[in-house]
Amino acid sequence: MRTVTTWKFALSSKMLGYIWQYLFSSFLRFWFKWFLRHVTGKCELQRICSGYKQGAPRTSRAEYSLESSKSTVLRAAVSVEEDQVEECAMAIMKEKKVISQKDPEFKMSLQVCLWQISGYKRLYASVEDLRKQSFDCENNSHENMLLRNYQAVGRYRFQGDDPKTDFRGMGMLGLTNLIFFSEKYTEMARQVLSHSVHPKLGYSYAIVGINLTEMAYSLLRSGALKPHFYNTVSQSPKLEHFHQLYCYFAYEFDKFWIEEKPESIMEFNRYREKFHEKMKALLQEPDVSLCLTVDSKL
Amino acid sequence: MGLLTILKKMKHKEREMRLLMLGLDNAGKTTILKKFNGEDVSTISPTLGFNIKTLEHRGFKLNIWDVGGQKSLRSYWRNYFESTDGLVWVVDSADRLRLEDCRQELSALLLEERLAGATLLVFANKQDLPGALSKDAIREAMALDSIKTHHWCIIGCSAVTGENLLPGVDWLLDDIAARIFTAD
Repeated sequence: MRTVTTWKFALSSKMLGYIWQYLFSSFLRFWFKWFLRHVTGKCELQRICSGYKQGAPRTSRAEYSLESSKSTVLRAAVSVEEDQVEECAMAIMKEKKVISQKDPEFKMSLQVCLWQISGYKRLYASVEDLRKQSFDCENNSHENMLLRNYQAVGRYRFQGDDPKTDFRGMGMLGLTNLIFFSEKYTEMARQVLSHSVHPKLGYSYAIVGINLTEMAYSLLRSGALKPHFYNTVSQSPKLEHFHQLYCYFAYEFDKFWIEEKPESIMEFNRYREKFHEKMKALLQEPDVSLCLTVDSKL
Repeated sequence: MGLLTILKKMKHKEREMRLLMLGLDNAGKTTILKKFNGEDVSTISPTLGFNIKTLEHRGFKLNIWDVGGQKSLRSYWRNYFESTDGLVWVVDSADRLRLEDCRQELSALLLEERLAGATLLVFANKQDLPGALSKDAIREAMALDSIKTHHWCIIGCSAVTGENLLPGVDWLLDDIAARIFTAD
């Protein structure tokens, strides 16, 4: 019986939460903002830009504010084209009757927010494009990319003779990530590759890499990577920044795997999930920045 | 706790089944599992180790084990044989070059003592691909008709479209249920 009552209680408090959220977002929020606007003389976006430091704390709040705005100009701003950010910022200022002279920093701060917010959406689109291109052995440029990669770090194994089947759902995104890691962080990639051939703790370098690409991709898709990109890239994030994040995953996962000393490769999914949880927890922190720092010892 | 509850619990426990899904790498095991469970199948990466999913279907609680098929993992397959009620063998019907490899792996499995009582379902997967061999061609290439030790059935399917996954699993459940829950 007790469980039933607690359940009912949980349900009703959840419902109250929904009702409150509904009332707040559709009615109270407006008056709350109206009140603050008259007290401070600033609109919500201005208060966000002056009250929070650049990066996730500011941009995430600006994003929420724009998305829940009643004005179509503001709502459309989250998907503005890169070359129209400045015009868009001016249109928002006009809509919100912000006078530049009174708040000279606002325009630039708003532009950075817009670059970051719309850039994240563009980044997802280009990552998705690359993922949908499948690896093709018959295609010389694909084959050459792989060969060049072997030269950089040494040969690594795929499951079968045709690497195509391993790239699967990650397509060229998986290969580009592997290549970026070995070309930009050659020593680190070599180190990871050398761990992967360890007799006991070894793992399939390429397959783990493709699994980590999938992890990065799904975090990007869910929006979980927003704080990371908002903190580390002060313009529109580009593919290169996504590859950088992959490098962080590849290097950190290897370290994690070695430290955890799993019994065998059959434990992979359990540790993958553990690592995934660890990354998600890091991404909850407002100051998160998942960047690979090159070790001076290397 | 009343007697009825205890009986219900026992019955519930009885209706659990353990299915083991094996096959060469890139056969589509994880895709079958995810599709059957109603998940997105467009972003799958190769399985290292295994996946396990517990799902309810037709009043049965199914524990489905999907173990990676790459060569280096096959020696670990044996760790998953214990108390398997049904073996799902997945074949990539478009991978003609490795059919012989596929036949050998399956026939070795069927000699395993711990799989002796298990029902065998062969999924001739990837029927949606233009180069795929038919279910009957796979049946012949895998010499399925020579299997006398296990109840078996082959079904042509496509994990990507979901075609025939349900009839396959239903056949498997019926066969297992007829064997182990005869009291029902």
